[in-house]
Amino acid sequence: MTDRRRINGPPGGTRPPVFASSIKPTTVAAERPQRQRQPNELRKIFLKTGLIPSASGSSYLEFEPSASLSAARASPQSVIPPSSSLKLACTVHGPKPLARSATFSPNLVLTTHVKYAPFAARQRKGHIRDASERDLGVHLETALRGAIVAERWPKSGLDITITVLEAEDDRWWADAPDSHDAAWGMMNVLAGCITAASAAIADARIDCLDLVAGGVAAVVADETAERGVSAPRLMLDTDPADHRSTLSACVVAYMPARDEITELWLKGDISKASVGIDDKNLTHEALIDGAVDAARGAHSVLAEAVRESAERFAGLSSGKST
Amino acid sequence: MAAQRQASSASQTPHISPAELSYIYTSLSLPGAPIRPDGRSATQFRPLSAETDILPGTNGSARVGFADGTQAIVGVKAEVERTALGIEALTQAEQEEYAAETGGNSKSDGVKQGSSSGQGSWVQMAIEIPGFRDDDALPVFLAEMMREPLVESVAGGGEGGMVGGLKGRLVINRRWHWRLYIDVLLLSQPLSYPLPLLSLTTHLALLSTKLPKLKSKGEEDPFFDDDWDAAEYLYPRAKSTSTKPSSIPGSISVHKVRPPVTLLVVSVAENVIFDPSREEIAVADAVLAISVTHDTDSGRLKLLSIRTIDPPSRLTQPGVPNSENVATLGSTAAAEESVIINPSTGEEEVPGVWRPRRGGVKRATIAKMVKMVLEKGGVGEEVLEGLEGVEVG
Repeated sequence: MTDRRRINGPPGGTRPPVFASSIKPTTVAAERPQRQRQPNELRKIFLKTGLIPSASGSSYLEFEPSASLSAARASPQSVIPPSSSLKLACTVHGPKPLARSATFSPNLVLTTHVKYAPFAARQRKGHIRDASERDLGVHLETALRGAIVAERWPKSGLDITITVLEAEDDRWWADAPDSHDAAWGMMNVLAGCITAASAAIADARIDCLDLVAGGVAAVVADETAERGVSAPRLMLDTDPADHRSTLSACVVAYMPARDEITELWLKGDISKASVGIDDKNLTHEALIDGAVDAARGAHSVLAEAVRESAERFAGLSSGKST
Repeated sequence: MAAQRQASSASQTPHISPAELSYIYTSLSLPGAPIRPDGRSATQFRPLSAETDILPGTNGSARVGFADGTQAIVGVKAEVERTALGIEALTQAEQEEYAAETGGNSKSDGVKQGSSSGQGSWVQMAIEIPGFRDDDALPVFLAEMMREPLVESVAGGGEGGMVGGLKGRLVINRRWHWRLYIDVLLLSQPLSYPLPLLSLTTHLALLSTKLPKLKSKGEEDPFFDDDWDAAEYLYPRAKSTSTKPSSIPGSISVHKVRPPVTLLVVSVAENVIFDPSREEIAVADAVLAISVTHDTDSGRLKLLSIRTIDPPSRLTQPGVPNSENVATLGSTAAAEESVIINPSTGEEEVPGVWRPRRGGVKRATIAKMVKMVLEKGGVGEEVLEGLEGVEVG
C-alpha cells in the first residue's frame, strides 16, 4: 500500500549514469565484495543498552562492516558503497496499563513494530509500514512471546519498537536478480531485531525465561575464478552481498539455557544443491543447527550487554539511596 | 476486537475455559494414539469439496470448502509488464554493442542468463479475511507465507518442465514478463487457522491458470494468440504416461510440475497432529507451517520453507489448582494433588489444571514434524496425491 498523502520520491533508487566507454569490462566484476571470514566465523556485534532515556528499556545494535565496506569508507572509489551493515535501535515501553477501551487480557499484550528508516535500504521505504515490515513484526512477536512470562503481567501492554537505520542488502547491488533472488537481507535484519529486542526487554527489567538470541545460517554459492559458480556451502552469519547467490537461509530465535527455538524461519530450495555433491551438511537440519550455533554466538554478546545494563542500574539505585 | 487483532499470527484466542483446554490437551497428548475432538486420526485431513475454473474473468480460479462450512475462492490474473533491467544486464548489452562496433566476435552468454530467471516480486498475493483489515498482521503474514514457497521453488527442469520454476515461467523475453496477481478471498469467518484451506485453494487455482499463447518470437514485443482455446497452462501439462492404476484416466493430461502446498502441523506433548481444528490449535505446544512440493527429478518431496506460528496456547487463561484456590483450601481433594513435571515442556504442572504454554520448541520436535511431512508415503505425499485427484480445467 503506498502512501497517497505525501509527495514521495521515486520508488526506485536513482543510480548515477555509467557510460560503457568509461568502464573496462572487468572493473565491475572485480569490485564484488568477498567474504573474508571463515564459514563458521561470525561478524562482531556492537550492542549497547539504555541509550534512549525516555523509554523503559532500549538498545542499539550494529554489525561489523565487511572488509570491503571499511576499505571503501577509508578510500572511496565510488559513490556507491559495496555493501551495507546492519544498524538498528530498539525501544521498549511498558509494562503499562492497557487503554480503557481495550478488552480484558489475563496476559501481557505484546505489540511489536518494525520500521525501516526511509534511507535504510538502497530502495527508499515509505513512511507507512509495507508488507515486509509487518511480516518482520509478526516474526519478532513470535520470537519474543515464547520468552516472556506473559501471565505475570495481566491487563498490561508492552510496546516494542524497532527502527532499522541501515538494512542488509538482499544481494550485491550491481547484480541482476537471479533465480535465487529473494529478500535474504530481511533474515539478517530479523536476527538483529531479536537480539536487540531481547537486550532492551532485559534493560526494561522485565523477567523472561531466558535471553533470546537470533542467528542466521545460509547455503550459498560463490564464484570462483577457474570454474564459474562453485559448489554450494553452508555458512554462518552470511552477508548476502558477499555471495553470488543464496540458495537457502534460516533464521532462528534460540534460548540456550532451555535449548529451545521460539522462532524458526527457513526458506529456499536446496534440493538441487545437494544432488551433485555428497555433502551431508546440506540438509535443512544442518541449516537449523548452523543458525542455532550463530545464535549461541550472539547470545554471548547479549549476556555481556545485559550485565552492563544491570551494573548501570545497580549503580543508579545505590546512588539514589545514599 | 483490538486485542484480537493484536493476536496476529496466532489467529484468534479462542474462548475456551481452562478446564476444557486441559481436557483437550490431555486427550491429544495420549502417547501414540491421540484422541481428537472430531474423531480423526492424527494425520487425517478434514473432508473437503473443490472445484476449479469458476470465475470466467480470471486466468485461473478455484473454490474449496471444508465440511465445517469454511470456504475460500482464489482468482489468478496475469498482466504483461516491462522488465526493469539490472545494471549488469545493461552493461552486458552495452558491451555487446561495443563489441559489435569494434568488430569483436564475442556474443557473450549473458543473454541466456538474463532471460531464464525471473524475479520473486512478479508474483503478488493478497488475502481478504472477513473482520480483518488488509494491512492487519494476519492477512499480511499468511500472504507472505504462501507466496514465499511459490517463488522459492527453482527446480523443476527436465522435459516439459519449468526451467527456473514459476519465476522462470513468467519470463516472456529479456524485456517483458508476466506479473501474476493471486487474490485469495475467505468467504466464511475464519473458524480455524485458515492456512491449509487457503493453500489448497491457491494450489488448485494455479493449476487451472492459463496464459495466452505467445505468437511473437524472441526479443520482439509480445503478441498473443487471441484464441483462448489455444492458451497454455501456467504449470505445463503432459499426457499421462504413469503406469499407476490411479483414478486418473490415461487420456487426461497431467501436470508434471505442481505448485507447492503449505501444511499446518502442530505438536501436542509427544504427538504430531496434522490439519488441526480450532480447539486443537488452541492447546498446541508448537505450530509450524511447512511448505513442500514434488521434486520432479528425484520423485521425492522437497522442503521449501518452514515458519513457526505463534501458538495461541500462550495467550490462554490459566486454571487454578485446588491447592491455591481459596474456596477449596484445606479440603482433602487439594492435598491429594501432586505436582508433576510435564516431560515435553519441562514445566511443573498439576494434572488436569491448564497452564498457558511457555518457551519454545525443541529441535528434535521440529525434526520429527518435518520428517513426517517429507518421508516417503508420509502425509505430504498423501495430500499431493489427493489434490491430483481433483479434475482441473
